Amino acid sequence: MSNPQRPLGVGTPAAATPPPPTQYSAADLNRIVLEYLNKKGYSKTEQMLRIESATRTPAASVPGSPTPSGGHQDASRSATNGTVSNTDTLLKSSTDDPNLFIRAYKSLRDWIETSLDIFQPELRKLLFPIFVHTFFYLIQKPDSKSPATSLARRFFDTYSSDHSVLHGYDLQLLSGLTLPDHLQENETAKLYRQHKYRLNMSRTTFDLLLHFLDETENNGGPIIIRLINQYIETNVTPSRPDKYNDFSHSLGPDEGIPGHTTGQENRLNSQPVRLGRLPLDERMAKEVELRLKDEDDTAQNNNGIAGIGTTKTLLQEFHEMNQTEDSPVREVLPLPQYKGVDVEHEIAAVKDARSRLKIGPTEASLPSVCMYTFHNTYDGLNCLEFSNDSSLVAGGFSDSYLKIWSLKGEKLQSVVKGSQPLTSQRLVGHAGPVYGASFSPDGKYLLSCSEDKSARLWSMDTYTALVSYKGHSHPVWDVAFSPVGHYFATASHDQTARLWSCDHIYPLRIFAGHISDVDCVTFHPNSTYVLTGSSDKTCRMWDVAKGTPVRIMISHTAPVSAITMSPDGRTLASAADDGVIMLWDLGSGKAIKAMRGHEKGSSIYSLSFSREGSVLVSAGSDCSVRVWDVKGGSTTPSSTSSTVATLADSGKVLADGKAGDATAAGPAGGVAGSATGGAAGGSTAGGQSGDAAANAAKAGASARQTFATSDHMATFMTKRTPVYKVQFTGRNLCLAGGAFMGTS
Amino acid sequence: MASSSSSSMKYSYTLWSPSDTVKDVAESLGIANLSEEVSKSLAMDVEYRINEVLEQATKFMKHSKRTILTTQDISHAFRVLNLEPLYGYDSTRPIKFREAVLGPGQTLYYIDDEEVDFERIINMPLPKVPREVSFTAHWLAIEGVQPAIPQNPQPSEGRSAAPGQPGVSSTEIEVKPLVKHALSRELQLYYDRVVAALTEESSTSAMKNAVLNSLGNDPGLHQLIPYLIQFVAEKIRLNLKNASMLYLMLQVLHKLLTNQTIFIEPYIHSIMPPILTLLVGKRIGTSQSSTEEHYKVRDFAASLLNQVCTKYGDTYHTLKPRVTRTLLKAFMDTSKSAGTQYGALSGLTAMGPEVVRVLILGNLRDWAAVIGSTSAVTDEDKRRLGNAVIEALRSLVDPEFTTIDDLTDQDRARFAEFVGPEVDKLVSEASDSESIIKAVLDSQKFV
Repeated sequence: MSNPQRPLGVGTPAAATPPPPTQYSAADLNRIVLEYLNKKGYSKTEQMLRIESATRTPAASVPGSPTPSGGHQDASRSATNGTVSNTDTLLKSSTDDPNLFIRAYKSLRDWIETSLDIFQPELRKLLFPIFVHTFFYLIQKPDSKSPATSLARRFFDTYSSDHSVLHGYDLQLLSGLTLPDHLQENETAKLYRQHKYRLNMSRTTFDLLLHFLDETENNGGPIIIRLINQYIETNVTPSRPDKYNDFSHSLGPDEGIPGHTTGQENRLNSQPVRLGRLPLDERMAKEVELRLKDEDDTAQNNNGIAGIGTTKTLLQEFHEMNQTEDSPVREVLPLPQYKGVDVEHEIAAVKDARSRLKIGPTEASLPSVCMYTFHNTYDGLNCLEFSNDSSLVAGGFSDSYLKIWSLKGEKLQSVVKGSQPLTSQRLVGHAGPVYGASFSPDGKYLLSCSEDKSARLWSMDTYTALVSYKGHSHPVWDVAFSPVGHYFATASHDQTARLWSCDHIYPLRIFAGHISDVDCVTFHPNSTYVLTGSSDKTCRMWDVAKGTPVRIMISHTAPVSAITMSPDGRTLASAADDGVIMLWDLGSGKAIKAMRGHEKGSSIYSLSFSREGSVLVSAGSDCSVRVWDVKGGSTTPSSTSSTVATLADSGKVLADGKAGDATAAGPAGGVAGSATGGAAGGSTAGGQSGDAAANAAKAGASARQTFATSDHMATFMTKRTPVYKVQFTGRNLCLAGGAFMGTS
Repeated sequence: MASSSSSSMKYSYTLWSPSDTVKDVAESLGIANLSEEVSKSLAMDVEYRINEVLEQATKFMKHSKRTILTTQDISHAFRVLNLEPLYGYDSTRPIKFREAVLGPGQTLYYIDDEEVDFERIINMPLPKVPREVSFTAHWLAIEGVQPAIPQNPQPSEGRSAAPGQPGVSSTEIEVKPLVKHALSRELQLYYDRVVAALTEESSTSAMKNAVLNSLGNDPGLHQLIPYLIQFVAEKIRLNLKNASMLYLMLQVLHKLLTNQTIFIEPYIHSIMPPILTLLVGKRIGTSQSSTEEHYKVRDFAASLLNQVCTKYGDTYHTLKPRVTRTLLKAFMDTSKSAGTQYGALSGLTAMGPEVVRVLILGNLRDWAAVIGSTSAVTDEDKRRLGNAVIEALRSLVDPEFTTIDDLTDQDRARFAEFVGPEVDKLVSEASDSESIIKAVLDSQKFV
C-alpha cells in the first residue's frame, strides 16, 4: 500500500483551504485543516477527519486523507448551513472526487425511490445510464490507484442489483471491467461511451428531476447534470407520466442506446412493408385450380349432393387461402419455373387446410402434442428439425454430423444403387458442431449450419452432401429455408445474417446491422423478408430485395433465442433468454404483449404458431411445452386487485372445465395463487373448498419466482427432457422433440 | 503474503486469489520478484480476459442447447477470439481438481493427472460401444390433456419441477383443526407464534406479556378464537399440576374476554368448563408447590367467572343458575378438598351478594361446624377458607347503605347465633367486623 509522495494538485479538495498547501508537511496540513474546521464550527467533519487521519499510516496520510475528508467536508456543508457562499471553488475541485460520484448516484437513487409512484418508472430508467457512467468514471479515474478501482468494484456490487432485472445481460457484460484499458476495448462499454442514451420523459417528471438536481447542488447534483448532458439525450414529451404504460417499466422502442439500434427506429419502422401472401405463379394457379376442380367433382360424384352444402369445396378453400391484400409483387422474388411437384405440394396444402383441427384459446381445442424423445445422445444433440410433411426428422450433433430418421418408422433407402436401407442415415461433412438444420418445403433437401463457418445442402434422395456454402467468418448459428424453397438464410456469430440461393455458393445479400451475434433467423411466410433475432436483444426484419432493415423490434431485456412468424405474416413471436416471449405487430414494429411463464433463467429453444395463428407453442430447457393464447390480453398478476380477480376467475374456469386435467389447471392455479389473499378469498367464494384457498396460498409462495401471465393456457411437462423443437404440422398437430437427459 | 492475498480479494469477483495466481505463474516462469502492483494489474486483466472467454463460451453452450459449460465450449470460444487453443483438456472426462495446503491459508489447486500405464491400457478390454441414438414417440398431450402414461411425468412430479405451478399440495396434506374454515396464512403463522411463545420454556416473560397484550388488543383475531380456546382447554387439561401454566392460560382467557374487537359471546359455553375446572378442581398445582399459587389460580378463576357472569349472564339465561348449582354442590360437599371448597366459596362470592345471601349465609353455620370439627383440613387451609368466608360476607356490605346506628350487643349475639361460633370468631377478628355483622343482619331482615 506504500504510496509515493506526489504533489498535491488542484484536483484534491485540500486545495480549497485558504493557505496554499504545497509548502506544508502532512502534519501541518492536518493541523491547518483542523483549525479551520474548528473555527467554522464543523465539529462532525473535524471528528471524522481526526478519526480518518488517525487510522492511516503517517506515510499514506498525505495524499490519502484529504480526498475522503474533502468529500465529508462537502457533505457537512450542505447538511449544516446549505449556503452557497464560498462553496463554488470547493465544488469545482471536488467534482473529481470518486466518493462524490457515488454519493451523487446514491442521493439520486434514494430520491427516485421516495418519489411518487407515478414518476418512478420514468425516473428509474434514468438511473441505469447514470449507474453505468458512474461506474465507468470510477474505473477510468485518471490517477486510479488501487483504492479507486476497488471503489468501482464496491460501487458495482452495491448498486448493480438495482438494475439486474431489466439490464441483467448488460451488467453481466460490464461486470468484468476493471482497468481503464478495458473501457477502450470492451464492446459494450464503447457503446455506452460513444453513443447517447436516449430517454423519453414527460415534462412534469423532467421538471421534478431538474428541481431535485438543483436542490442537491452541493451533493453531487452537478455531477448528475454533467453525466446527463454528456451521455443522455432526454426527449421531453408533453404527455403525462403513465403508470400503466406498457413501456414504462422497460425501455420504449425509441429509447436506450442508439448503438443497440440504428437510432432511427421511427423512420425505419415507418417504411412500408407488404406482409400479404406471395401470389402464386398465374399459370401454376390455373393448373392447381383445374386439378382441385377435378377432385371436387369426383368427390361430389362419390358423395352425392349432400356433402356440398356443409363442407367447403377444395376450390373454395384454395381461393380463400390466396385472397389477400397487401401482397408483394411476385417479381420482387425471382423464382425458378414451377414444376409438377410444386402443384402437388400446393394441392396437399389445400387439403391439409380443409382437414385441420381448429385450435383456439378455449379449453376444448388445446393442441395435441406428439413428443419424440431422443435417447443415448450423451448431451451431443444440438438441434432437431422436422420436415414439413412430418415424415423425416433431422438431428444435428456436436460431433459434426447430422442424422436423419423416418418418423413413420420406415427404413430410409438411398436412391444410389446398391445401398442398404437403414433406420437412420448419417450425414458426415461438417467440421464442427452442427447448430441448425432446415428442410426444404418439398422435403427433398436439408440445410445444416455449423461451427465450421459453413452451411451445407444435403439431398434427401441420396443422403449425401451437395453444396457447402462458405462465406461467414464465424460460426453459423442458424439456418432457415424459404417457404417457397430455393432461397435460404443463415445467422452467424459474425453479427450478420446472409441470404443465399441454393444455386450460388456465395451469399446474395448480407444483412449487417446487428451489433452482436445473430442467433436465430426465419423467413416471412411470403419469403420477401427475413427476420432475425440477436444477442443485442433486438429483432430485425430485412427486405430480401433491398437487403436493408425495414423493422427493428426493441424491448427484450436478454438475448433473443428463438423467433417464429405467424402464418398470416402479421405477427412475430420472439423468445429471450430470460424466459419472456414477446409478440410483435410487424405492420408497426410495435410490441403487442409480453408473455411470461417459462422458468426464470431457462432458455426457450423453439416457438411455433398454430396454422390459424391463434395459439403459440413454446418449448425450452425447463423441460416443458407451453401453450399461449395469441389473441388474449396479457396481464401480469402482480398489480391491481381487479386484475387479480379476473385471473382468479380464469383459473376457476380452467379448473372447472377439466376437473381431471391437473396440468391444464396448473398454470391458472399458479396465477391465482400468486395473487393476494383477497384473490384467494375470491376463489373460495367461487365454490371451491377451503383447501383450494390453502393450496392457492401455498402456490403463491412457490410461484414467487415466475408470474405466469394470464394468456398462458397450458403447460405440458416432460420427464427430464429439454424440448429442442416444436412445430405444428399442416393439420395442426404439434410435434415436439428433445433429448432425454436421464440419470447418466 | 497472506495479508496481500486478503487485500487483493476485494478487487476480484472470483473465489480464487488472482494476484497470488499471477505470482505463482510468474515464479514458475522464473520471475522471482514480481512487484505487488504489477501482479495486481495483471490479475485484474487476466480476470477480464477470463470473463471475455466465458462470455463467448456461454454462447456455444447455449447454441448446443446445454446447461453445462464444457471444455469444448471453451476451446470454441478460443477459436472465435483468435487465441491459441489449449490442448490436453478433454471434455469426455470430467476434470478433477485436487487441493493441497502449502502453508497457513494457502491452498494450491491442481489437476489430478493420474499416471497411466501403457501396458495396462493396451491389455484392457475395449470399452463398450455406446448405444446408437434412437428416439421414441409418445403423446405429451391430447387436446390439451396430458395422458397418464409412464412417459409423462406424474402431475406431482411435474409441478415440483415447475415453480410456476401450484405447489406440491398433494403430498403435503395439511392437518386441519376440527373447525372447518380457512385460516389465512398470516393467522396460522400468528397462531403458531402465540402458541410457541406461551408454551415454550425458552420464551421470556416479556415475550409472554407481548403475546398477551397482542391477544388483548389486536383486532382481526376473531377467526382464531375457537383455536385459541381449544388450545387453552387442552393446556389446562394436561397441565393441572403446573400452576403457573394454568395461571397463564387464565390470563389468555382474560385477554380474549377483554379484547374489544372480538365477539366472544358464542364461545362462552366453551370458555366456562376450563374456568370452572380451575375454580373447583380437586387438586391444582403439585402438592409441593406453595399453596399460595394454588389459591391464586382459584382467585383468578373466580374473578374471571365473575366477569363472564356479569357480562353475559343476561344473554345466557341458564348460565348463572347452572354455574351456581355446580358451585353450591362443591361447596356443600364437605368431603371435597379444601381447595375445592375454597374455589366454590370464591366462585359463589363472585356470583354476587344475592347468591351469597341466599346460598352461603343459609348454610354457613352448619358448614362451618363441619369444617371446624374435621381434621382433614390443615390449619393453613382453614385460614384460607376463613378468609374466603369473610370475603363472601364482606361482599354483602353495601357501602352506600350502611346504617348509621351503632352495633348493639344484642345484634352481636344475634349474629353469633346465626352464623355459629366459628364464623363469629373469624368475623370478630376482621378489621371491619362491625360493618360485616351489620350487613349480614340487614340482609336477614328481608328474608
